Amino acid sequence: MRRILLSAAVLVALVGVFVVRLIDIQIVRAAELNEQAQEARSEPVTVYGARGDIVDANGKVLADSVMRYDIVLSPKQASKAVVEREVPDPENPEKTKDVVVPLPELAAELGAVVGLTGDQVQGIITSELAEDPDADYAYVSKLVDTETYEQVKALGIPWVYADEHPSRRYPNGAVAGNLIGFMDADGNPGAGLELGEDKCLASEDGQVSYLHSLQDWVKIPGTEIVHKQARDGGTLKLTIDTDLQWEVQRIAEAQRQAVGASWAMVTVMEAKTGRLLAVADVPTVDPNDPGASDKADRGSRSFTAPFEPGSTFKALTAASVINAGLADPYSKIVAPYRIVFPNGANINDSSRHDDQQLTLTGVLIESSNTGMSQFGELMTDRARYDDMLKFGLGTETEVGFPAEASGDLHGDPDEDWDNQTKYATMFGQGLTTTAVQIASVYQTIANGGVRMPVTLVDSCVSEDGTVTDAPAQGEQVVSAEAAAETSQMLERVYQDAWLSEKWNIPGYRVAAKTGTAQVPDGNGGYLKEYLVSVSGFAPADDPQFVVSVSYMNAVKMNSSAASAPVFQEVMSQVLKKYRTVPSGAQAPELPATW
Amino acid sequence: MSAVQAQSLPAPRRVGTERPQRRLRPAPERAARPKPRLAYAVIALGGVAVIIVAQLLLSIAVTQGAYEIDALQMQQTTLTRDEQKLSEDLDRVESPQFLATKAEGLGMVPNSDPVYLRLSDGAVLGQPTAAEGGAGASAPLVPNALIDGVPPGAQHKPGETPVEGTPGHSSGAAPETPGGPPTVPVDGGLPTPATH
Repeated sequence: MRRILLSAAVLVALVGVFVVRLIDIQIVRAAELNEQAQEARSEPVTVYGARGDIVDANGKVLADSVMRYDIVLSPKQASKAVVEREVPDPENPEKTKDVVVPLPELAAELGAVVGLTGDQVQGIITSELAEDPDADYAYVSKLVDTETYEQVKALGIPWVYADEHPSRRYPNGAVAGNLIGFMDADGNPGAGLELGEDKCLASEDGQVSYLHSLQDWVKIPGTEIVHKQARDGGTLKLTIDTDLQWEVQRIAEAQRQAVGASWAMVTVMEAKTGRLLAVADVPTVDPNDPGASDKADRGSRSFTAPFEPGSTFKALTAASVINAGLADPYSKIVAPYRIVFPNGANINDSSRHDDQQLTLTGVLIESSNTGMSQFGELMTDRARYDDMLKFGLGTETEVGFPAEASGDLHGDPDEDWDNQTKYATMFGQGLTTTAVQIASVYQTIANGGVRMPVTLVDSCVSEDGTVTDAPAQGEQVVSAEAAAETSQMLERVYQDAWLSEKWNIPGYRVAAKTGTAQVPDGNGGYLKEYLVSVSGFAPADDPQFVVSVSYMNAVKMNSSAASAPVFQEVMSQVLKKYRTVPSGAQAPELPATW
Repeated sequence: MSAVQAQSLPAPRRVGTERPQRRLRPAPERAARPKPRLAYAVIALGGVAVIIVAQLLLSIAVTQGAYEIDALQMQQTTLTRDEQKLSEDLDRVESPQFLATKAEGLGMVPNSDPVYLRLSDGAVLGQPTAAEGGAGASAPLVPNALIDGVPPGAQHKPGETPVEGTPGHSSGAAPETPGGPPTVPVDGGLPTPATH
């Protein structure tokens, strides 16, 4: 009996030990052990999520993700391994024989494919080995395309292999390069929309692992484990039209070279929606090769470099004064060459002239500073300042471009504007705006006084199809009548001002205004450089498009005559591209003098 | 009351007559069990065999499938690479820079003065003006690092593949242009067809 009890106890204890061990292995440490087993038998593989495309308004690709390859060799293996190849046997053409290929020959073959000499490839091997005799990893060439990769693979050199390296490509080169931006060498967004809209574009790499057969690495079905799901980035759709953008950049750059300007900015905007159709900044960076451009030329000055706009600003002051009910296109003043106001402000025109009897229309045609000042002072500084804010000045536009400038309205009108600034701000000096802000001012005048939010990004379509749209709610800045009367005056400017021959677009009614602004030196004075500009819209009887052109320091032609032909060419191109029907009637007559 | 009685009283002895009767009952004749039929064994073993074979076949099929999948995935990778190469080539030649260079190579110039013919009443809208051409050769004005090294269309000869560097075109596929590239009239007039 005791023996039976004893053996039973031993048996129970033994089974107990097994049960405890089993529970420990199967339940308590199951996850950990499974992981260890998985690790021992499989390797994690990265699944690349593709960064989203940037497309234009018509879906044409401006930036997309491609797979590139880094060609890598193992210096250690290269120095030791004996590479044999099958070649036809010269003695017996039916058969092949193995021949040892010497290192220099292999190096030369590899070099020829990646664009190096054989000696350079051997140099990589020897220098790496000199540093570390066990060196197993050295780059031969980075970011080569698929064709090169396949050629390298075809060589069949055992100590050469390739790492995948997702990269970015810009099929249209510098077209909209100022807006798109680029990726830096490490694959991080470096500038432009690539940086600003990274939230939409960014992808996430995933990771999977699976068991594979020992010899040929065939995946064993049902063993795949997804550690992290890869996610593609969203598609960023712009309002830009690629063809128009290219044409505008081409025209702008040709003239920039002709007049020797430092840089130029051209903005094309839809008058009724505030959508940007083209924003050219020349010289323009080619995002495929940002290093080829000067550092200062790699962004978009239209958004980031504010300037004193000069006389194009007079349209805003005129609209403001008419809106306040203090003047109309027929209102009369006498414009002398120089005028000293009671507060001591001393204003003069750009060229010497006798006293002129001008209407408000005439003031705009002659671009008279003294005339404009007399109209501007009808309003309080505060009221003009408030109108400027409503026109969108002094704050960044709705685009939210990286490093976008807000422009500077020179502080508060009552506290910070000195006597001279109070008048200078009437004709666009003493305050700064961006090129896009000026286009937006003209959009407001063209659109019956309703300012539309400036739009550059149409939408972001994420991987799962969610669409994020930009809001489009307009705001009445000045009355429709004030806008219409300003527009008619700007038509007279287009017809009668000194550049009317240079910017004539046959068949269309156009409203436009020039500007020749002095460039501040940053210490309260002005440089000898000028920023020459033209802003306007067409067709004036039913405005569709706003074009704004600015040239910085055109040394060979320092007047708005440098920018007028660009305005003409760009506006013609826009009207032609969008099949705009030519205007029927003539522009209404308005008296310029009295 | 009766319950108390029953407890207090000794239990009545069982009548002994029945017990031996039971004990001595003859064991019932065992019904002659039918001999186990061979069929059952065959079915059972056959079932096991079928299951084993089926599992084996399934396993082989899955393994076979794994190799097929692998081969197809390799093929897919190759095809994806091909597709990428070709679409990269296509994007390159679709870029405005390349198209403009080709167009200029053919002697085309942009006309910046649009004119429209309204079909409803035959009215001509706009003022017809001869094209004088805008900014010249466009490539250096708007750079594109991707089309560097792709020869512009102006240099291709009739019968050659239209886009050099794009493999897979046979020369026969390109339309033959007899008499060299089309010439552009320089006297300002439109070319008149010779047919009557």
